[in-house]
Amino acid sequence: MAELTQNEKRLLGILKNEKKADAPHLASLLDATPEAVVQWAYLAGDKGLATVERFVAKEFVYTDEGKAYAKNGLPETQLLRFIRPGTSLADLQKHEAFRIGFGQLRKKGLVKVDGTSVAKTPGASTDTDEAALNSPSAADPRTKELIKRGILQESETVRYAIAITPEGLARAKKGLDLQEETGPLTREQILTGSWKTANLRRYDVSKLPKKVYPGKIHPYQRIIAEMREILLEMGFEELYGGIVQQSYWNFDALFQPQDHPAREMQDTFYLRETIPLPQGYEKVKAMHESGGETSSTGWGGVWKEEKAEQCVLRTHTTSVSIQHLARNPNPPVKAFCIGRVYRRETIDNTHLAEFEQLEGIVMDEGVHFGNLLGILREFYHRMGFEGVRFKPSYYPYTEPSLDAEVYIEGIGWIEMGGAGIFREEVTAPLGINYPVLAWGLGVSRIAMLRLGLKDLRFLHRSDVAFLRETPALRNTKGGV
Amino acid sequence: MAVITLPYKYLERLTRTDKKTILDKVALIGSDVERTEEDHADVEFFPDRPDLFSPEGVARAMRGYLGIETGLPFYQVKPSGISFTVDPALVNIRPVLGAAVIRGVEFDEESIQSIMSLQESLHWAVGRGRSKVAIGIHDLDTVKPPFRYIASPRSRKFIPLDYTEEMTMDEILEKHPKGRDYAKIVKDFPLFPLIVDKDNHVLSFPPIINGERTRVTIDTKNILLDTTGTDKRAVGVAVNIICTAMAEAGATIESVGIGGVQTPTLAPVERTVSVQECSRLLGIELNAATMASLLQKMRFGAVPVGADKVKVQVPCYRADIMHDWDLFEDVAIAYGYDKIQDLPPATFTVGKPHPVQVNAALARETFCGLGYLEVMPFTLTNEDTLYKKMQREEKSGVLHVMHPISIENTVVRTELLPLLLEFLTLNRHRELPQRLFTVGDVVESCLTYQQAAGVSTHPDADFSEAYASADAVLHELSIVYSVKESADPAFIEGRRADIIVAGKKVGVFGEIHPSVLNAFELEHSVAAFEFDLRAVPGYPAL
Repeated sequence: MAELTQNEKRLLGILKNEKKADAPHLASLLDATPEAVVQWAYLAGDKGLATVERFVAKEFVYTDEGKAYAKNGLPETQLLRFIRPGTSLADLQKHEAFRIGFGQLRKKGLVKVDGTSVAKTPGASTDTDEAALNSPSAADPRTKELIKRGILQESETVRYAIAITPEGLARAKKGLDLQEETGPLTREQILTGSWKTANLRRYDVSKLPKKVYPGKIHPYQRIIAEMREILLEMGFEELYGGIVQQSYWNFDALFQPQDHPAREMQDTFYLRETIPLPQGYEKVKAMHESGGETSSTGWGGVWKEEKAEQCVLRTHTTSVSIQHLARNPNPPVKAFCIGRVYRRETIDNTHLAEFEQLEGIVMDEGVHFGNLLGILREFYHRMGFEGVRFKPSYYPYTEPSLDAEVYIEGIGWIEMGGAGIFREEVTAPLGINYPVLAWGLGVSRIAMLRLGLKDLRFLHRSDVAFLRETPALRNTKGGV
Repeated sequence: MAVITLPYKYLERLTRTDKKTILDKVALIGSDVERTEEDHADVEFFPDRPDLFSPEGVARAMRGYLGIETGLPFYQVKPSGISFTVDPALVNIRPVLGAAVIRGVEFDEESIQSIMSLQESLHWAVGRGRSKVAIGIHDLDTVKPPFRYIASPRSRKFIPLDYTEEMTMDEILEKHPKGRDYAKIVKDFPLFPLIVDKDNHVLSFPPIINGERTRVTIDTKNILLDTTGTDKRAVGVAVNIICTAMAEAGATIESVGIGGVQTPTLAPVERTVSVQECSRLLGIELNAATMASLLQKMRFGAVPVGADKVKVQVPCYRADIMHDWDLFEDVAIAYGYDKIQDLPPATFTVGKPHPVQVNAALARETFCGLGYLEVMPFTLTNEDTLYKKMQREEKSGVLHVMHPISIENTVVRTELLPLLLEFLTLNRHRELPQRLFTVGDVVESCLTYQQAAGVSTHPDADFSEAYASADAVLHELSIVYSVKESADPAFIEGRRADIIVAGKKVGVFGEIHPSVLNAFELEHSVAAFEFDLRAVPGYPAL
């Protein structure tokens, strides 16, 4: 037998005697609002113990304007009463009802204007209109006319009649346990043991209460944290560095020629600030101009100090890792950096002017290109990508260079990052005598795939509902 | 990036194999196949390989890679007897000239298109938008040698390409579409570069436009190539790439005398490299013979010299070979990246998190415990959001980017709180209460450091909540602080406090000022706080 709430029981208890009654009447007996009673009745109705009948009655009520007319007569009636033989139009115009009433009289053909005087037409009367005003009826076209004129208003009143069913009556006669229900247990009930006899309210397990939301980190931060964990597990040291860098560390130390298109104003955010060059910059200058003491030819031309001093918003985290190498030229170095980088791009759903980049470097005696491929495969495997492959690519500061592609079910092979060995032109001026394996990837690219985002901007201008709904643990299969 | 159109029929004829074989392998020499159409494919090549910016160049490389024809391609150059003089007055304007005669060309609409697009790709990749190198191609039979490359008065008139009327060079910069595009390269010079023939007919006004007289058409049989610029090496590379591509198409190349020197020679450059060094760098076992044959596959001339050396002849069009390692990359490509054994290095190191990130993670953990949700706003913002809406003075250390993309992104953030308020605006329609936080970089006077900030909005958000929450986060980070009444105009007077550590203000908390709420179009009160993470004891120096 379906469980009854305390309120349903009380309602049935009253209906046992009342059999059928209006909601307000029951409400007064139950010391509740009629709305509440109707709600309980519906609940009982769902269990077949009561019926609820809903009656809608249409009524006509006077508007404020209508109330005045009901007392004084319609404006046209007032004018009609005023008109005597010989009444002039000018006199009539002075009447307060003239503005509305005269038009009505003309429309209904109840007056005639003859020069300056006004006269009733024979048999002129507004009795039927007055009747419609005093006892409106939905069937009367005149009533409709009065509604249009804003004199009457239609209003609906809803009435509920609640009755007990034979099943309900049977249930009520069997006896209803009306003992008070206990919601949350009180300290008193717990300590005295009175909970044993308390009527503990039962909850409907199918009804979710009002939601609560935990505080949590951003789903994007979670992906960054996962990559960070993987690299720490793989024995890498984490780096942190400034957003603002000299062109020297962002470009020149990486053997990017000073006339390289990526260095132009339309691709890089420049700042007015400058920072003096570090000691030993002459070696970088020599490398650019003539290849220094290596087998390189250099770029030729003249390398300009003032170009290298100019500050930019870093275009890659390589500007951070190269400084780490410059400070730590002795092997081994295994380090990584995840940080925001800046490109002067037109912003759309797949391009942002700022985004996170991950970069890793390994410098040691005897490390080689095959090791670089091995690190990449290991990293992508740990990120959940089973299929990984490599193909030739080009980056200005690495040689050999490659792009890594991962296989994603349903999408195919997609490019996930670039890598290579730092050119000797990069390492030699810093006194680094061993190969530096380096790789980087766009973190937001993985985030977009994993979170199923259509628009990258959403990572940084997030909808709170999205953050609340995205679970901390997401089943990732094949890396996404 | 350069996307090159490869018509299948032409490519198949030049490569001497079918298009499927070519397209299956072309990515393996370093490219992306953008799309394949009925009669052609569009393939993107990297900017360091301008020699691949034509079907002729791609066919040459693929013949090698597929083993159809390996080793150094040989190009014969005969002297044409034609000469140029170079005006010494050009030395500070545009001093470098390269030229060549190309005879016996057979043009159709497609091959004219092909050479024009090679010219444009070279302008982009080698020429830095024509400033470093500009290329002109002329019908040789419309002019008479010898030719002169001179610095000319700007009032000199001639009929530029695609026009019928004579114009002065100044007028060309003003009116001709190419003149307007490239005027910035020459406009500040008193004299302009000009190439004229024996009868003073104008061939070209480099780097802007050719004369109409020497227009190349389907009937053109013999070409005069002029290449001018500021960098000798870049000019030479452009000449070599065009000449060798035309030679691949069947033309013969003739040299010209420039100031008494015959050019181009299209001769290779020699470089001797170590087999052991290459093996070590790539992590593959090589001997001199296998390394030489791999280099031959990449169209280098290569001969073993003893056990550890290979003498390499680098073709004149390979501008990217600057260093021995550039050759080693070609060895790796010929060997196949997929055949290189991938093994992580044996280097033993221990993972070490950076203290800045460790502290950031602790701050995040505490915020989450307080029920705050993390957001990650952009670091680029604007003065309006950062200061004006907050009723605050602009910070003296704020960095303005010189060429912002939009008025929304003009400065680098110096604090986080305004960005959190912006988030509340964005999420006004979402259920309250909303408690948001962010931990991240701010920049002041070129120094990057981290701050943490939180906001809470709901009808009962007040000073006490801001105080209690700030206290909780500060406590968890072991920051010992005192407070004093604040004067921060972003908060309500009497409901705001500065966080003081060691006598210095490191943060602020309180109830956001109603005028600030109005400015951000917020309807409920906001309890907020922000502080500098450098206040954490033992924080690393940045």
